[in-house]
Amino acid sequence: MYKVIQVAWREFIVTVTSKAFLLGLLLLPIIGIVMAWAGPRLFTDSDFEARGALALVDRDGRVADALRPKLDPESARMRQELETARALEQMPREARALVGPETIRRIAPRIELMLDERPRDADVDAEKARLYSGPPTERPLALVVVHDDAVEPADGTSRLGSYDLFVPPRLDNRIENEIRRVLREAIVDARLAARGYESATLQALFNVPRVDAVTVRAGEERGNAGALTMLLPMAFGALLFIGVMTGGQALLTSTVEEKSSRVIEVLLSAVSPMQLMAGKLLGQMAVSFIGLGLYIAMGLVFLAGAALLGLLDFSLILYLVIFFVITYLLLGSLMMAIGSAVNEMREAQTMMTPIVLLLVLPWMLWMPISRAPDSAFSVALSFLPPVNSFAMLFRMASTSPPPTWQVWLTIAIGFASALGALWFTAKVFRIGLLMHGKPPTFMTLIRWARQA
Amino acid sequence: MIRPAPAFTDAAIVLEGVNKGFGPQKAVEDFDLAVPRGALCGFIGPNGAGKTTTIRMIMSILFPDSGRVSVLGRASALDAKDRIGYLPEERGVYRKMRVGEFLAYIAKLKGVGGAGLSKRVRNGLERVGLEGVERKRCEELSKGMLQKVQFVAAILHEPDLLILDEPFSGLDPVSMRQLEALVLEEHKRGATVLFSTHVMHQAEELCEHVVMIHRGRKVLDDAIPAIRRRYDPRTIRFEPLDANADVTALQALPFVERIERAEPGYSIRVTDGTPPADAIRRIVDVLAPARIELARPRLEDIFIDIVAGSEHRPEEPRDTEAAKATA
Repeated sequence: MYKVIQVAWREFIVTVTSKAFLLGLLLLPIIGIVMAWAGPRLFTDSDFEARGALALVDRDGRVADALRPKLDPESARMRQELETARALEQMPREARALVGPETIRRIAPRIELMLDERPRDADVDAEKARLYSGPPTERPLALVVVHDDAVEPADGTSRLGSYDLFVPPRLDNRIENEIRRVLREAIVDARLAARGYESATLQALFNVPRVDAVTVRAGEERGNAGALTMLLPMAFGALLFIGVMTGGQALLTSTVEEKSSRVIEVLLSAVSPMQLMAGKLLGQMAVSFIGLGLYIAMGLVFLAGAALLGLLDFSLILYLVIFFVITYLLLGSLMMAIGSAVNEMREAQTMMTPIVLLLVLPWMLWMPISRAPDSAFSVALSFLPPVNSFAMLFRMASTSPPPTWQVWLTIAIGFASALGALWFTAKVFRIGLLMHGKPPTFMTLIRWARQA
Repeated sequence: MIRPAPAFTDAAIVLEGVNKGFGPQKAVEDFDLAVPRGALCGFIGPNGAGKTTTIRMIMSILFPDSGRVSVLGRASALDAKDRIGYLPEERGVYRKMRVGEFLAYIAKLKGVGGAGLSKRVRNGLERVGLEGVERKRCEELSKGMLQKVQFVAAILHEPDLLILDEPFSGLDPVSMRQLEALVLEEHKRGATVLFSTHVMHQAEELCEHVVMIHRGRKVLDDAIPAIRRRYDPRTIRFEPLDANADVTALQALPFVERIERAEPGYSIRVTDGTPPADAIRRIVDVLAPARIELARPRLEDIFIDIVAGSEHRPEEPRDTEAAKATA
């Protein structure tokens, strides 16, 4: 055991003191923080402003009256406020607390349209020509031709008309959307007015504010987790993925390096292949635990900061650790087997594809499992290595956790499969370490395992 | 011609009927070996003969398909790794690691630890003339310096058995002498030394005992003096007392096969089966010698004779993997 610890300690120290590790460890949180802060600023054009004329040919004659107040700057500002409130209302409670109305206001486009009313019987072709001819500053942003049956159906029909929208090339779609929106509202208002209804009254009648659900249990009432119930399984899956990838990749790299630098034979003169394998696995597992620990701590700080700590079932962290150990031993050891078999990293890439697919597969299954954690599909996946750890973690973090016996059955299956992978790796490791020359295939690895 | 391995009761290394193959290719066949404790034994053979595979089996890095291996009285070198020093043919270090750290790490893996380790590392480096490189990264050293570092790694824990695979390859003559002296020092300290080489004269100079392997089979296993006695007793070095003497007179002797000039005298080849003592007596009767002696066969000549003698056997093709693994 002394030698295993020595190997593990070296693996651990060499990895955690490398610049690559420190960078990799801090990169994810840094990206997260930068994106949260800079995302809205980077990905939205908060300075977008547009001002121009909206040419209107109102064949009906009543839409222009309804449209005019909607383009008034004051009513545009009030509409913006309404939109902001609506956008916030649609957001998950946690996101609402983070984003705030100011951000919504800041990123909303500022579009000022001035109504340029054209005669009811204006020649549409001549009006269209104004979009691309004449001095650019005098060209309207768009031309709208409201159909004569847009407010009331034509005689003998029940179908209402609409409008035609003509725009110059490369008009920003935000301006186009704004025109569509005000036109829709104006036509609806005109239709209501034509039938004797007051638009504001009806809108008030239709408006029911969105409310947050309150979770109630004996002696406790708290806000519902809301979107967190969907995000929590993903977060746990991500932690599992990061932990396994970090450790597995490091195992692969260090094994290839030791083999290609020929130091492996010196090591094998001092330790057995099993001791070497065990030491490397333990060392890199400790490295992964550092990453996991850091990310878990950051997650807890975030939840505590948002007063959402109560939403988290802390036993999930324990299960995360158990499932991490299983998945790491299973996939990490296979990565190490690949590392021992190849001559250089380039050769490892091809053989790594199936392993990476096994790690990516659970992400494709995240949504169906989280939405229906008790479906036959979800339950079956919980017992199918190597995706079972991910599937079970998704289910456990969902709104409908599985029965305890299923959790422990998954753990038992997981450990059994990890032992199988370790057995396979030990065999391949023993032979592969000293093999050079033609890069092996998976069939070669299986042959080695049977041979050893 | 090949005698069975001596049955040393207290042998440091024993191999009995060992076979090892890589796929269809046999790398080592029916190999018997007994290296007594305290011996300085050379393991010679051409490239690809099976030396490294045999050594790896002794080290329990590879395992035989059949046969028995015993090292320092244990059934496997795994049980005695801490008492064995090993310098593999394929040398390797952690390139980014500092020399001192590397040596300390290997020493720890060999069970050496504690407060005296740094001093031991320093002393080891001093012994090979590498004072002050402790803090340097391995990648900063030359190939020869790295070889010395690896030699230090092999002897740092004062092993009972020292196995060196081609220890002098790639070294300049000065470094070679330095390492040869260290090998002898280790032997003097009491370590059993087994070293492989394809440079025969090194084995001849250093070893008391030689084992020769060719195509995976042992073709020679004996003490150096015995080998010299046994091989090529048919060449006599002769220097006449009178430098102008007519040596063609010797041609008349029935057992003389041929006479060649070999400065400062002649090399007389006698027919097979002629007792050397008789031949010398009869040559002296014909011409007075300034010097006459039985030629000392070189290991290289013996090796070439043996290899040439076995050339009638068709060589089997070796696959890449097996060839690499046994090189």
